[in-house]
Amino acid sequence: MGKMLDREAVFYLFALPFAVLTLLFGLWPILLSIEVSFTASATALKPMPAFVGLANYAAILADPVFLASLWHTLLYTVLAVAANVGFALGYAILLDSALIQRGRTLLKLAVFLPVVTPDIAGYVVWRWLFDQSFGALNAALKVVGLPGFGGIASPATAMLSILIAELWHHAGFYVLIFLANLAVCDKALSEAADIDGANRWQRFVSVILPQLRPAITINLVYALIQFLKTFSVVVVMTKGGPNDATNFISYAAWQMFDQGEYGQATAMATVLFGVVILIGLGTYRATDRGRAWWLVLRPMCLPA
Amino acid sequence: MVARVAAYVFACLISVLFLYPYLWMVLGAFRSTQEILSAPLRLWPEHVSFEAFRSIADVGGLSFMRALLNSVGITAVSSVLAVVVTALGAYALTRRPDALAFRLLRGGFLLTMMYPYMLLVIPVYIVMYKLGLLGGYTGIVLFLALGPVQFFLFEQFFRTLPNEVIEAATIDGADETTILFRIVLPMARPVVATVAIITFLLNWAQWFPVMVISATPDTYTLPVALLNVNGELGTDFQGIMALAVVTTIPPVLLFLVAQRRVMGGMTEGAVKG
Repeated sequence: MGKMLDREAVFYLFALPFAVLTLLFGLWPILLSIEVSFTASATALKPMPAFVGLANYAAILADPVFLASLWHTLLYTVLAVAANVGFALGYAILLDSALIQRGRTLLKLAVFLPVVTPDIAGYVVWRWLFDQSFGALNAALKVVGLPGFGGIASPATAMLSILIAELWHHAGFYVLIFLANLAVCDKALSEAADIDGANRWQRFVSVILPQLRPAITINLVYALIQFLKTFSVVVVMTKGGPNDATNFISYAAWQMFDQGEYGQATAMATVLFGVVILIGLGTYRATDRGRAWWLVLRPMCLPA
Repeated sequence: MVARVAAYVFACLISVLFLYPYLWMVLGAFRSTQEILSAPLRLWPEHVSFEAFRSIADVGGLSFMRALLNSVGITAVSSVLAVVVTALGAYALTRRPDALAFRLLRGGFLLTMMYPYMLLVIPVYIVMYKLGLLGGYTGIVLFLALGPVQFFLFEQFFRTLPNEVIEAATIDGADETTILFRIVLPMARPVVATVAIITFLLNWAQWFPVMVISATPDTYTLPVALLNVNGELGTDFQGIMALAVVTTIPPVLLFLVAQRRVMGGMTEGAVKG
């Protein structure tokens, strides 16, 4: 009997460090964050914080800056998801096609390298690439006779600039997921359709796309959650500007925190968390358990 | 034939666009502000000078060597810790999936990982303050030792362990510690290597928790120092690029050496036939 107990106890010992870290740096801060969202900012860090109910939530929902940031976040997310997944789908199909034989690995490496490049370094380089006087981008546009690009200096193009930099950093991952799916596709089906007289487009729509459903779903959910949380690129390139054009929710919350508005900052965090959880639950209900990690949990665990 | 040439031209163009920022960054580290302003598109520096790398010896009140050593030390220690803590945790949770405490722990961990990261870091600051870990290496390293990808890769691996192996060892009288260290871990070597490399890449790039938990620049890593310089100096373009180069080289080299492992690990289990 004693031996049986030891046998089980040892598992708790194995899990102990993991449990301690999860409690200290995970659950405790989350609870703290939610608690703070219900308190007055000035008293939030005091031993006896003053609870104000939903006042912080009411305040942010009445705040035009937050509402604008919510709108910008949603708009940016839709654009970024479409651009990244669309590009990755097309490029992966090209890399997988019979047209590309040699050098496939090198082409794959080129597009994946930015994924493992520290995001701060990548975005710093992009910030300067877009620069009006230093940047290579405007110099190149000038050479080919095209009008200059406003980059991060103009409210009209700031979001697009960020999107380009983020596509550079993230798209390789989506390409890789599509390539993994293409590798397990049944090539014979495509050949059979070819013999039956289907043209390239028909083969793509009725033979290849249906087989790519797993990767399309994964990439869509992954990208959706990734771009809802957009943060680093804003910190490095625009600081939310110009004119709040790139002031997304996570950055707006961080600014609130920086100004000591802890209550409103954590209320924003809780709202964003709620949106992400809703998307996650929605997808989770529509998938079988075996794929749940990839479809729901892993994308939700993405850092900014 | 025409289609093939077009395909290669297009693919090479895309690759060049993805790689150009690296070239531009390296050139920027070797060319002076004046040289860049007069010829922004040059593909080769006018002369090779390591002046910029000397000029970043002191970045925003922090010695460059200190930031480099911080990066290496914090990344290495937190990666080793992440491998040990997550391997043990994931192993226990996979072997006893129905234990109530473990189900709660798994749920709590995943909830933590789902919480918007940059917003989790904010209350972590308060927690670090309460624990007296603010401004020290301990807090940074401990925080970086938890990660979802690590947990997932170990869990995936431990789930595929054949039950017969463990049962046979149990019948032979081996206790759980022996089973883990003598039987399971030797089999887990490849996944341990993958997790260690991926964690190194991820933690090297970490900046936000490092910045928030640091009380002074003394514990800044390279990405944080880079962010700082980018904001403060503004126009010391050459120094910024030199710092970006140094921040980029280690993970890029590690990735190129271990590319199969990294790309395999990052997409592990994404698409099954």
